[in-house]
Amino acid sequence: MKYQIVIAGIGGQGAVFLVKVLSIAAGLKDQKCLGTENHGMSQRGGSVSCYVKVGNFYSPAIDEGQADLLIALEGNEGLRNIQYLKKDGGTIVVNADEKFPGIDYKTIKIDAFAKATKGELPIQALNVYMLGVSLAKDSNFPFNIKDIEEAIRVMNAKVADKNIAVLHQAIEDSRSV
Amino acid sequence: MKQILMGNEAISLGLIHASVDMISGYPGTPSSEIIGNFQKFSKQFNCDTYAQWATNEKVGFEVAYAGAISGKRTCATLKQVGLNVASDALMSASYIGHLGAMLLVSADDPGFHSSQTEQDSRSFAKFAKIPVFDPATPQEAYDMVKTGLDLSQKFEIPVMLRPVMRVSHAREICDVDDEVDFKPNAGEFKRDVGRWAAVPPRGRFAQGLEQLKRMDDIAKYNWETFIEPKTKDFNGADTLCLTSGTGDGYVREALEEMKLSADVLKLDMPYPLPKKELEKLFENYKTIIVFEESYPCIEEQLSAPNLHGKLTNDVHKIDEFSKDKVLAAFSNVGLIEKNSFYKSDKYADELPVRPPNLCPGCPHRDVYYSIMKVFKKKKSIYPSDIGCYTLALNQGAIDTVLCMGASVAMASGFSIADKSKTVIASIGDSTFTHSGVAPLINAVYQKHKFILVIMDNSVTAMTGRQETPERANPGVINLKHIVEGCGAVCMEHIYTPNLDESIAFMKKVKKKHETTDGPLVVIMREFCVLDKERAPTMLPGIYAEVDQDKCVACDICTTQYKCPPMHYNEDHKIEIDPFLCIGCDGCIEDLCPTDAFIERKVK
Repeated sequence: MKYQIVIAGIGGQGAVFLVKVLSIAAGLKDQKCLGTENHGMSQRGGSVSCYVKVGNFYSPAIDEGQADLLIALEGNEGLRNIQYLKKDGGTIVVNADEKFPGIDYKTIKIDAFAKATKGELPIQALNVYMLGVSLAKDSNFPFNIKDIEEAIRVMNAKVADKNIAVLHQAIEDSRSV
Repeated sequence: MKQILMGNEAISLGLIHASVDMISGYPGTPSSEIIGNFQKFSKQFNCDTYAQWATNEKVGFEVAYAGAISGKRTCATLKQVGLNVASDALMSASYIGHLGAMLLVSADDPGFHSSQTEQDSRSFAKFAKIPVFDPATPQEAYDMVKTGLDLSQKFEIPVMLRPVMRVSHAREICDVDDEVDFKPNAGEFKRDVGRWAAVPPRGRFAQGLEQLKRMDDIAKYNWETFIEPKTKDFNGADTLCLTSGTGDGYVREALEEMKLSADVLKLDMPYPLPKKELEKLFENYKTIIVFEESYPCIEEQLSAPNLHGKLTNDVHKIDEFSKDKVLAAFSNVGLIEKNSFYKSDKYADELPVRPPNLCPGCPHRDVYYSIMKVFKKKKSIYPSDIGCYTLALNQGAIDTVLCMGASVAMASGFSIADKSKTVIASIGDSTFTHSGVAPLINAVYQKHKFILVIMDNSVTAMTGRQETPERANPGVINLKHIVEGCGAVCMEHIYTPNLDESIAFMKKVKKKHETTDGPLVVIMREFCVLDKERAPTMLPGIYAEVDQDKCVACDICTTQYKCPPMHYNEDHKIEIDPFLCIGCDGCIEDLCPTDAFIERKVK
């Protein structure tokens, strides 16, 4: 199995956290995994993108037209990285409202910012929330909920319960997407 | 034991497993996490180690090198531009060598992700005549730490490990030792003046001869240990790809995905190479292509009519590798037709750019805003330096960025060369202690008239908030005493988020500068918003929003202040992104001419 994920967002949204969770999930299943991050110079507020390659790869970078999944923690950052998706079969899971433009890729759209504004989602957990949506909506996603739950526990047991609750909330919310 | 490790973590763990007990260096992306992780592992495994940040890379190198002279196994870490700073020490250390072992980790940044040059540390190793290992993955980095230290011990010479950003910041499931068998060498300095203080010309000439012989011996060792065993698996393809470091992964994936056949020879140690043996091997192939980042380090050591690479214009010469660039090289040498398999269309419409910027609430933003208000652009020159504050480029508050510490001596130079303008330079606290002191003494000595603002947030912020000398020794090391000790006039100011107050202070600075005969140093005592210890006590928790009726879209906040949460909405009014605003209170009182920024009531 080979599966390539690009995670795009803004510095501070926790894209790197997702790389860690996904690599741990791969490790727990004894699958090969390479991850890397592009975060430039700014500490917060700049464009961030990360790559996760599950399966038999040799290089951590993802080339254009190769990613199976693009998890976009913010709409414009998703569009900025859209060229990394596979032309046929690539899926974007994006945190965006109805204004997100139509594109030639399978698009799963959920407005997490609106939920956070209404107090339905802690904004710090946006990353885990979008991971949950990806898990629920992308049928080729290489991990199931148990894998991700376990990885979240391995990563940081102290805050695991909160994150796992958000994961479940995302899966629940995805039903109506 | 399998463990998920980031490249820099793998290097730190490798150092512990190789019984390194002295490590010193200066932070620089992408090398910065090595010392922090080494400290973490030392604690976790109860290893008695010295693991400290040095004031600069040269200091770090020399501390570690003296340890190696004394028989210990040591390590120095830095980034490629830091190697320039440490190079004076390295060049001589390569003649003299040591009794223990020393690994010099120099992390490179192909693609300029966070560096001002794309220089290749392997080529520097070649220049300094020390062997260099080039890992392709975190696993290899872990393994090569041990191999490198053993080689260093065997040949009594510092050995370089050169991870690139895609190794240092990659994550991989690594196979590491189950047990920590930490056996550091007790250090003992053995007097040997003829070696440790070799006098030119005779002493050094003799060491130079030894150095040449040593590199010949290591090249032979390279062939026998690392290269020749790999050639046994070759299956007689027409093409040989010579790879080094990350280049290897791109080549292997491209070959596999394009279903092309070629032998791939990865050179773990790209310098010194066994020239004769490799060139003999080339006779079996029609075409040989070298894939390496960033300089033609391997290519320059070899020659053959069928050898292709950067020097023959077949492989890209600048920027990071990609599989697309591998295919371009294959096509350039005639192996395949032009191919756009790894190309895809970008999103067609223009997207709002998100250039590197200071964090929301960063005090630097207010300080630069005040500087710009008091020292007008037309009549000023703003030399700056390397650190987070470089991002004030966004505010138009910086004119020059050269290298660590350059702001001070460049301020001197500008004050001599263009007397019609006021020179107001800025430098971070860590950068000042790194290399700002010597040029400040020079400026006092020569009576150069300029203002130097030390932006003191009491951390080495940009590389991940490492400890600074002053922070670690409060009341002992004091920037003000250092500045005054250099003989410069010094003004100190404690930052508050009140813009008018910062501007009023800058006006005082301007006045003082007019009557000061020489450099005037201003220490702005700030904080870093990401500093978990200090930020919570410094940030007032007053969040902003915009009174939409009052905003007249005058652009002052988006051009002169540029806080990331500020952006135009569809009604062409400014809006504050509530998820980015950090509650610093900076914009509320004095920034907006129509007072549109107001406090947001947080439920």
